[in-house]
Amino acid sequence: MCLDDQILNTYLDGELAEPFKSQVEEHLGYCNACRERYQKLQNLKKTIDDAVLSDEDIASRQENVMKMIENTCFKRKKIPFFKRQLRINLPAFATVAAAFVFVFVGSIVYINKESNAFIPANVDNPIDESNVNLVNEKSQKTIDDYSLEEIINSLDKRGYTVDLKLKSVEPVKFEE
Amino acid sequence: MEMRSGDEAAFRQVYEQVFPVIMKVAFHVTYNLDVSEDICQDAFVRFFDKNMVFETLDDAKFWLIRVTKNLAINQIKRKARETASLEKLKQVTPTSSYKDGASELLFQESTESVRKAVAQLPEKYKTVIVLKEYAGLDYQQISKVLSISESNVKVRVHRARKELEAILRREDS
Ligand SMILES: [Zn+2]
Repeated sequence: MCLDDQILNTYLDGELAEPFKSQVEEHLGYCNACRERYQKLQNLKKTIDDAVLSDEDIASRQENVMKMIENTCFKRKKIPFFKRQLRINLPAFATVAAAFVFVFVGSIVYINKESNAFIPANVDNPIDESNVNLVNEKSQKTIDDYSLEEIINSLDKRGYTVDLKLKSVEPVKFEE
Repeated sequence: MEMRSGDEAAFRQVYEQVFPVIMKVAFHVTYNLDVSEDICQDAFVRFFDKNMVFETLDDAKFWLIRVTKNLAINQIKRKARETASLEKLKQVTPTSSYKDGASELLFQESTESVRKAVAQLPEKYKTVIVLKEYAGLDYQQISKVLSISESNVKVRVHRARKELEAILRREDS
């Protein structure tokens, strides 16, 4: 009995298990009709494969998407609090709905995790999320877990000079 | 090796290896480069944001392929709905001058005609053939990604090729 396309396709994909695989090979060895059909199916598969999207087309897209991800996903997690621009609502005293707030803190304290002593940061100390903590907190929260208001209040309580600077796209107009 | 998708180093490693695969999947379902780029971006952003744990790189790859496949299928469905009303007005005349290809078929088809033929396939055959020929998955991997049995994959691969052969033969004549 001759081989049907289904079995030839499975064989072509290298997915035919024994003993069928050997049986197909044996049959293809002596049956010209099946061998011809098999070659046709091989050609068809090659034709389909050859229409694949080119590596060049992929490369440029791969770069584009990575750039976008670097600028969004990676940055989102990495930007330390003190370099971030915060978008907050200021309906009480500004006519613009949103403005950028820049926070300048006179000096920053961080907790030395072992001694729990407060050490004023100097310029040389690396300040990142892992070693900056709010003075008041004993939990593992990082500074990013606090609202701007909480941070300012906490710093203010401890006598640090906190300078807030407002910057908006349009000039901020204060209500009379 | 366990990995977390929200970890930048792990993410980059997966991205390097898997982007070309899912770009091919998106492209051979939608046949639009810009749309495919958007789909891949969407898939990888989800991948990163969900910060999932994967046992192996293959598991991460299958997750990405599944998401990409779904996004691409949704996109062509949406597009089909959008153009449906237009198509009704146009009333396309079916040009099925089917010729029985008893003569030698050499299958020296242009890339263009193969892509058009793949685009014409019903969804269940299209996804299987795209995953087989363009994503390079085997039957078992396809059955994992699509949650269908391996024998079902086997049958669909065969039917998809049969349809493609018929479409290409029709175009030849
Ligand atoms: Zn035979």
